[in-house]
Amino acid sequence: MSGANFVQLMLSGLAMSAIYALTATGLFVAHLATTRMNFGQGEFLMFAAYLSMALLLAGVPVLLVVAAVIVVLAMMGWGLERLAIRPLDRLRSLAGGQYSWVLTTMGVALILQNVVTLVWGKSSQYSPPLFSANRQNVVQFLGVGVFVEELLVIVVALVAILIFYAFLYRTRQGRAIYAVAFSPETASLLGIDVRRTVVLVFVMASVLAAISGVLVGPIVTVQPHMGLVFTVKAFAVASLGGFANPLGVLVGAIIFGVVESFSNYVNSAFGDLYPLLLVMALLVIKPSGLFGEAKTDVR
Amino acid sequence: MSADKHASPWPRNGAYLAMATAIFAFPLLVGNTFHIHIAQTLLYTTIAVIGLNMLLGLSGQMSLGQAGFYAIGAYGSALLTAKLGWPIAAGMLAGILLAGLAGCLVGLIALRTRGLYLAMATLAFGFMTEIAAQRWVDLTGGTMGVYGIPALDFGSSKMGKTYFLWVVGAAYLAVQIASDYVMSSRIRRKLLALKENESAARTTGINVPVWRTMVFAVSSLLAGTAGVFFTHQNAYINSDAFTLGLTLTMLIATVIGGLGTSYGPLIGTLITLMIAELIASLYDVSFLVNGLILLSVLLLFPQGAIGLVQKVAGLFRGAAREGTPEVAQSGSFSAFAPGAAPASAGPTLVIESLSKSYGGVVAVSDVSLSVDRGTVHALIGPNGAGKSTLINCVSGLYRSDSGRIQLAGKDVSHLPAHARARMGLARTFQNLQLVNSLTVMENLQLGLRSTRSIPADFSSWLLSDAFEREERARALDILRQFGMAHLASAFPEDLPYGHRKLAELARAIAEEPIVMLLDEPVAGLNDREAQEISGVIRRIRDAGTSILLVEHNMDFVMQLADRVTVLDHGERIAQGAPAEVQKDPRVVEAYLGAPLEASSATPAEAVS
Repeated sequence: MSGANFVQLMLSGLAMSAIYALTATGLFVAHLATTRMNFGQGEFLMFAAYLSMALLLAGVPVLLVVAAVIVVLAMMGWGLERLAIRPLDRLRSLAGGQYSWVLTTMGVALILQNVVTLVWGKSSQYSPPLFSANRQNVVQFLGVGVFVEELLVIVVALVAILIFYAFLYRTRQGRAIYAVAFSPETASLLGIDVRRTVVLVFVMASVLAAISGVLVGPIVTVQPHMGLVFTVKAFAVASLGGFANPLGVLVGAIIFGVVESFSNYVNSAFGDLYPLLLVMALLVIKPSGLFGEAKTDVR
Repeated sequence: MSADKHASPWPRNGAYLAMATAIFAFPLLVGNTFHIHIAQTLLYTTIAVIGLNMLLGLSGQMSLGQAGFYAIGAYGSALLTAKLGWPIAAGMLAGILLAGLAGCLVGLIALRTRGLYLAMATLAFGFMTEIAAQRWVDLTGGTMGVYGIPALDFGSSKMGKTYFLWVVGAAYLAVQIASDYVMSSRIRRKLLALKENESAARTTGINVPVWRTMVFAVSSLLAGTAGVFFTHQNAYINSDAFTLGLTLTMLIATVIGGLGTSYGPLIGTLITLMIAELIASLYDVSFLVNGLILLSVLLLFPQGAIGLVQKVAGLFRGAAREGTPEVAQSGSFSAFAPGAAPASAGPTLVIESLSKSYGGVVAVSDVSLSVDRGTVHALIGPNGAGKSTLINCVSGLYRSDSGRIQLAGKDVSHLPAHARARMGLARTFQNLQLVNSLTVMENLQLGLRSTRSIPADFSSWLLSDAFEREERARALDILRQFGMAHLASAFPEDLPYGHRKLAELARAIAEEPIVMLLDEPVAGLNDREAQEISGVIRRIRDAGTSILLVEHNMDFVMQLADRVTVLDHGERIAQGAPAEVQKDPRVVEAYLGAPLEASSATPAEAVS
């Protein structure tokens, strides 16, 4: 492997890391406040990618596309909470038991995937680039030619994640999420609107899926069943970080994306499976992930 | 209700016989090979769904990778028979075992983690098997598939389909009977306990990780069995059959039939297959339809088909509550004989310089105490003194940092909680740990040590009308001592706090322990109830059990305890008879603070 090759693989890996970090942070924040999450997070990302592609192809300016996709996905996040999460509170211990939300959110994901297939067809498509004139545009970075799209995906995702952190740690609403995570009852006694906070985390998760969907379109091929892959990988990334803190998710994403990039280089047939196997093996050895704390359930 | 639940096994066995007859007669009466094919598919798919029903309905674990185990069974048998020329029976058995083995491996994750991670791991596992089936063309043939698989037709092309249906039918019936046994025996109680309340499960002697992994392995074994049948039904497989769609179909069948019910899987699979036939022509919207079914079942009919039938039936039957309250009886526990308690007097529980800290905070520091046989030892101290930590270390829920714990002369310091429980250590919790989906009676049965092996228990369930009669009588006897016999079939959540507290104590008594740990047994109870508990504890003690209790109610402690240990800031500050300890200046200081200097404010001033 040449040095140039190394930098390119590293950067491709980091670009995917950035996507995984955004997607997995969505899973993390929903899980933090509610111990539930959207098992269709990948399908939300897929839908965002399609929506953004369609708008870009229709000639809508990039910034407007981003805004539109974020607004639509935010509404979908709200709808998901109302339709597939909240009604289950009444029905606890019935049907899917404590995991009915896994099945309802997957049901929504199935519907979404089918709708996308009906509208845009089954075949893989290429989304136009966001930042440059064409997908193959190259700049010199560390003396090596790298894709502009990949480089800028990393930058934009990093900015988005920093904004998310600022929201989580610097605003009242962000701290309310932690309060609800600690105890919904206590939070409501402190005057926090728990309902609204729960809606908020699902909206945030969807917005993060929206941003990753817009960013991922130009660096991969877009297809209706790409969602599951992203759900599985985002889940693996969040578990790697231990669902403990957003920083753990970020580190998990960096490790996963880079390992995957090199693993794909070494073995193009099964390269994408090895990082998943690695995460599963790690969960056996260290069940709470790299940064999670094992908690004993004693009251 | 629960007392008569197992009155006679014959109506149930009659149903099995009727099903066996129906399966036998069906292919002979229905000439249409397509219908026979559908019946075969129904029966072997139900086998996989029964596995999922046990996993999800009883142990509360979610698997999103059943198609993976199904695929391993299918490919295992297909490749061994088609490529290596193994006999069908050997190939099938190997396929099933391979799926079970894969289940054990993935189950290792279940062993260490909970719910969510398992859902993720199984989703990833199903995804990986799907990809491997597609891309590992040298082995699986990818979308081209595996050819030359022998069909299971016993050499008869004319009667082959009929014979296959009979074999699948026999397998289904065996699995259905096994599942029914699981759902009405102690296995169900154990699985519900570990699903709902891990602490309660561990301290009543259930090896939680092992059980959790076992259920998972069994469910994957059953999925593999279905896969094996699928292979030899069609004599051809390719990678298109083993997608996430298959897993979802099985999950839909599980919830649509009614989760955790006996015939839910059969009904659910039947409904799912019928829907699949109906929408076969609507291939373009199959995901849409499946998604809508999933949502509507979970949100509108969460109790599933079986639940709906029961609800309708319940409307006609009316809700007759049985059982009349009984008056509390006093007297000794006729049924209570502590387990292998050593005959000699002397300490049955010895704690030697036990320490435990969290991070840098020392909760218990170098505490030693011993509890003699048939005595009550009270552990007191201000809030945060380390009493509950000590109890948790002794029961094994926490691992102590250093020190030794001996139970009846044996060192148990390194044993897990469930092993200590089985050696005769029972406990109650400060915040009640009853299993809410089990009745009071069943919670007590959770504590009873069963002497029957699983095969003996199974044959008793299958053939005898006295299944668990003895256990229920013993549980009822203990409940009677508490004046709670009429509440045997009530669920803990429907009881007032005092009764729940008693029920938990009753469960600990059912374990017939050598040593009983009671964490605040009378907290939140009124004086009369506290008196009642005090009486119960005396009787347990008189029967020879040693008791270590934590309590803040000083009247209660002083009249009950034979010895008292006082903790403050994790350290033992006093030990002795109640009266001595009460006078100990260090104890007074720990509770009331340092004596004020003469010059400081008078009480009246302090108040204002």
